[in-house]
Parts: sequence; structure tokens; C-alpha cells
Amino acid sequence: MINYRRLLIAVVVVLLSVSAVYAQDAAPAIAAQPCAQPGTLTMWVWDENWAKVIGEAIEAWKADYCPGAEVDLQVQPWGQYWDLLRTNAAGGDLPDVFTMSQTFFYTYASNDVLLDLQPYFDEAGVDTSLWGSGMIDPYRWGDDQDLYAGPVNWDTIAIFYNKDMFEAAGLELPTADWTWDDFADAAAKLTNAEQDVYGAAVYAEYQAGYPNWIAATGTTPVVEAGRARCTLTDDGSIEALNFLKGLYDQGYMPSISVVGGASPDDAFNFWLAGKLAMVAGGSWKLPEALEKATFNWDVVQLPRHPETGRTRSIVHSVGYVASASVTNPDLAANLIVYLVSDEGQQFFADAGGVAPANPAMQQRWVEAFGDTSVNIQTFVDALEDSQGVTVFDEIWDKINNEIVVNIFDLGMSVEDAAQAACEFIDTQLPQ
Amino acid sequence: MWNSFVNLFGHTPLTRRRALWGMALVAPNVLGLLFFFGIPVLMAFATSLQQWNALKPPVFVGLDNFTRLLADPAFWQALFNTVKLLAMIVWAEITFSLLVAVLLNQKLRGRALFRTVYFLPVVTSTVAAAMVWTWIFQPRYGLVGNLLAPLGLRDTGWLTNPDLVLHPIAAVTVWQRLGFDMVLFLAGLQAVPRVLYEAAIIDGANRWQRFRSITLPLLSPTTFLVVVLSVINGFQIFDQVYIMTARTVRGGVGGSATTLAYFLYDRAFVQSEFGYSSAVALVLFLITLGVTVAQLRLQRRWVYYEAER
Repeated sequence: MINYRRLLIAVVVVLLSVSAVYAQDAAPAIAAQPCAQPGTLTMWVWDENWAKVIGEAIEAWKADYCPGAEVDLQVQPWGQYWDLLRTNAAGGDLPDVFTMSQTFFYTYASNDVLLDLQPYFDEAGVDTSLWGSGMIDPYRWGDDQDLYAGPVNWDTIAIFYNKDMFEAAGLELPTADWTWDDFADAAAKLTNAEQDVYGAAVYAEYQAGYPNWIAATGTTPVVEAGRARCTLTDDGSIEALNFLKGLYDQGYMPSISVVGGASPDDAFNFWLAGKLAMVAGGSWKLPEALEKATFNWDVVQLPRHPETGRTRSIVHSVGYVASASVTNPDLAANLIVYLVSDEGQQFFADAGGVAPANPAMQQRWVEAFGDTSVNIQTFVDALEDSQGVTVFDEIWDKINNEIVVNIFDLGMSVEDAAQAACEFIDTQLPQ
Repeated sequence: MWNSFVNLFGHTPLTRRRALWGMALVAPNVLGLLFFFGIPVLMAFATSLQQWNALKPPVFVGLDNFTRLLADPAFWQALFNTVKLLAMIVWAEITFSLLVAVLLNQKLRGRALFRTVYFLPVVTSTVAAAMVWTWIFQPRYGLVGNLLAPLGLRDTGWLTNPDLVLHPIAAVTVWQRLGFDMVLFLAGLQAVPRVLYEAAIIDGANRWQRFRSITLPLLSPTTFLVVVLSVINGFQIFDQVYIMTARTVRGGVGGSATTLAYFLYDRAFVQSEFGYSSAVALVLFLITLGVTVAQLRLQRRWVYYEAER
């Protein structure tokens, strides 16, 4: 005989504990701390818009947590940011706090010019595990794999597609479950050579391009973490590149020359011009697409690899780092903790541009786009099975542009192009 | 002691005063050159003996950078590319600028306008010009591709194909230098005494004979100057490469568009090897110097200075 009361109680208990777990997950807030002693800091960022957002956050920090502190916030545009940073490092004059990219982190960390933030995160009780590993692993350094950066924001990749073209071709709109085969099928049907319209362009550049497809096979794209080994000649890489080259060879994807360049912006502009049905683009492209697209469009996660069933996105996260030679490390770390805390990240969430790294703020970011038919949540979903950046600046031109031009413009075989890229990468790896 | 020092500036008070005036007048320029050119050059020489990534303190490595350079295939490729560019540029620059100068030396309607038009590229920023040329050479939608479309060359990857990429770079360089050379040639042409032509006409010389036997020899000092400048400029080609290959592969696929100047930039600011890059800079300087000295030596064989004979 079943005791229904007991069963009911058991069910309620299970449900309650499940919801308690969820409640804990939903509120993993990072709390800001008052600073021990105010002082002055210099800070560099490379983006004008972020500077505005960060400036507001800093004002709030000064008011609520560190009265009397002064921050000299400067914008050094991306085009000169890294040269200036290096020059200042050479002169022993690094800014106290500055924005860092995952591709450049290795250089600075391996030259011992960055402050280890791990002790400060520990002291402030920050649970670093709440950031996804793709977001922060590239910022770990040293024997203990300490975290050297506080993640500011992230971007993931998805397929932007032209709804009108799908409807005109009588195709069903793609869903997050679609596979490489579905994608190839759609690309074929959406191509219209007579009207100079292509089905897709998804190969260009490291972040938005072919590495996402390699990651879906289960292979770490381009190089293994820690500059360990070139993976472009691995089976997974060859498979993914050959899949993309197949679409190119059949005329479903335009060459680099036709879209006008090897930057994903070139492909994106081609898509905006209505010459392309599907394009791989980052979440940072949302504001531009919302503003400029003259057709109906939406975003969908990258298609799944038919065997692994995985859809994977490269995730890149900009980080705040501090200089190892900062005169007031406590203050610098305190500011960084504030900027990555829920309070500090609100400013990024509400600005509706790039997505804030703090998971507690992601929903708020999605909502900041307001009433739109575009499925913004796609980019948050893409975080789930994402791949962190493992490449570094010295090999950037080769893996970002050259391999792509070789395969998708000059028609070199995937095997030869991958071989050539690996030969160069090998010269840049630690011996 | 003092007297012999003073005598360095001239033997009479008047020449001394003049010499001092002269020195006072050139002083700002010379000082500026010393500070902003001389010192960095000396520092570059010191850096070329070091290993330095600009983050850690430099390490003295002696001549290692130079021995490495000689064994670096990328360096030889860059040198070879530069020589190939020179081979394309120098003759074209001289031929076309001389042709234009001769044409614009005639009594021609709108002559001043044409001269301005040909000179415009010289005062146009290389970066802006190279951007526009990038579009012109773009396959499919670019001007060049569409002009050559009847030959089936619409989709030619001028800026990606390693066998072709130096041609657009050479073309833009010539286009941009043409106006400057033209001005030099125009000045040279106007210095040729008319009486020589008149005498030649009386002797029955035709147009070509007059050009061949009067204009060319009397222009040879100008031609020499143009050649020297063109070669020096050719060794320093950088902007065109940097901009025109930016949208595809900087420095060309497999380094096919990498000139010496781009190579040293790449080693310094991409690969962060400032010591090695300084060594490249020094070698580039020595090569340019060597070639220029050789040209100065060789000029005796073909340059004709009227005043000397």
C-alpha cells in the first residue's frame, strides 16, 4: 500500500531542495568591499563606449566604497593600445589598472608585469568558479594557476540569418538543434549564383570563424591551452576545415576576395548588404545589426556536429588586470573587485552593448535590448559549451588571416594550409 | 691655440663672420637632426646588439642578431621582394615621369592643370591613397577586375595571390612618385639651352634625334638624381604594403609582400623582437648606403655635367 502522504512529502522535499539549489545558482553575487585606504590610480581602456560605462561605475565606487579615491581613466584607442602599453611597460610606467585581451595575456604574464589577483579575490570572498572556465582559464598563470584578471565582459558567436531569404526559399527557420548537415543543406538552397547571393560565410577570423567548427568536433582549435601544441593538423581540425571548404568549393560560400577582406566585419557587411543569407557573428554585432539591417533577421546557435552533437562557440572575455608595479595593490584590487561585482557590472548590463561577465547580470543584459524579435538569449546559451581562447598575438596574423586566405581564396588544400600554419606556430611555441 | 681654432672658421674676420652667420642659421636644423635623428640612430645601433622584448630588461648578445639574420629565410625573402619591387619601380618611374615631363613641357592647353593633376598624388597621404587602391584592386567589384573582365580576370586576387601581390604595390608606388619626378625633370628640361635645338634643326635632326642627342644627355644629372631618390625610396616601401594587404594577410600570404621595411616593423611590433629588428634596420641602412655609393661611383660613366666639359 502506498502512503500518499509520505510520497507527497517526499516530492515536496525534493522539489524544495532542487529549487534551493537553483536559487543558490541564481544568486551567486559578487559583493563589492569598502577599500582600506583611498589613493590615486591610473587606468587605461581601449574603447570609448566602455570608458563611459566604466567611468560611471568608478564614480559609484568612489561614492559608495572608497570616498577620496581618484582614478585617472584614459582611453587609448585599440589601434595604438598594445604598442603604447608595451612602450610604457618598457619605460616602467604601466597604468595601474588596464583592460587586457586573452590573446595578449600570455606575453604580459610571462614577463612578470601583472599583479596576481588571486589572493585579493580570495580575501574578498569572490567565488571565481562562477565565471565559466572559457572566460577565465586563459587568464590563469603560474604553478598554482592563479587568476590574474577580473573578467569584464564576454562575447560568443552565433549565426545571424536573413529570415526573408529563408522564407523566399521555402525553408524552415533553423533551431538550436540543427546540425552541420542542415546547415549545408540550407546554404545550398539559399545560394543564388545569378543574383550574386551566397548561402553563408562562416569561416573568417579566429573568433567568429573556423575555430568554432573545429571546437564542435571536440578538438581544441589551433593550439592547445598553455601553448602546448599546434592542433590544426589533427583529425578534428581537418574535418571541420574540409566541411567548410566543401561549401566554398560548391559556391555556397563567397571567397575572401569577394566579401572584400579576411575580417568577419567584411562578411558581416556583406550580409547586411543582403548578399548573404547566413553569417557567423559575435554578440558585439547585435547593436549594429539592430540598427542597420533592412530585412527581417534572427540569430541561432551554431549548428551541431552530427556525431558529437555539440554546438560550440569561442568565448572571449576582456579582463581587468593590474600592473605588478602598482604602488597601491590593495586599492587596485579593490577597484577591480568592485568592477566585476554585481553592482559594478550593472552599468555594463544596462548599457546593452557587450555582455557583462558576471552571470548574475546576464538576464539584465538580455532585457536591456528591450522589445525585439531577435533571440538575444542565444548568445547566453552559447556560453554553456564554449571554448576559451588559446591563441596568442605572435601567431595571430597567420591563424587569423593567412590560413583562411590560403583555403578560402587561393584554394589551397586544407591539409597543406594546416601544415603550413602549424610549421609557423611550432616556431612560436616554447621549446 | 686659440688662433688656429678661430682660423677653422676662416682666415679673415669677414669670412669668419660669414661662417658664423651661416652656422647660426643652420644650427636649429642641425641640433634638431642630432637630437631627433642622431641619438635614436645610435640607440638603434646599441639595441641591435641586444635581445629585448620591451617588457624585460635588454640582454647584451653581441653580434647574435646579425648571425641569425644571415640564416633567416624570412629576411632573404624580404630582401628579394624589395629587389623585385625596385626592378619594377625604378625603370617605370623614370620612363613615365620623363614622358609626362616632356609632354607637359610643350605648349599645351591646360598645361598648369595637368601639372597639378600629376603632382596631386605626391601630396596625398599614402595611407589614404593606398586605401583607395585597395578597393581598386579588389576582385569582383574592383575597378581593375572589371576592366580586365573581358580577359576573364575579374576575380583575380591581386592582393592575395603571392605571385601577383607585388605588382599592385609597385603600381601604387610609381603612381605616387610620378609627380615629384616629373617636377625634377621639368626643371631639368627648362635648363636645356634652346640654341642647341635650333642648331640641331638647322642640321636637319628630327624630333627623336634631338631628344636622343640633346635632351637625354643634358638631362642626365636630373635622371641620376631621380634614380638615386627612387632607389632609396624603393628600399623604404612600407605604407603601401601595410595598408594594401591589411584586409587580407598583412605582409602578403607567406610573406610574399613583405619588404625589408615591413619585415623590420613586423619583427619589432608584432613579434616584439626589438633587438633583432634594430639589426634589420642597420642592415637596411648599410644596403641603401652601399647602393647609393655605388651609384655615385658609376655616375661618371653616364652623367654629363655641362659645366665640366
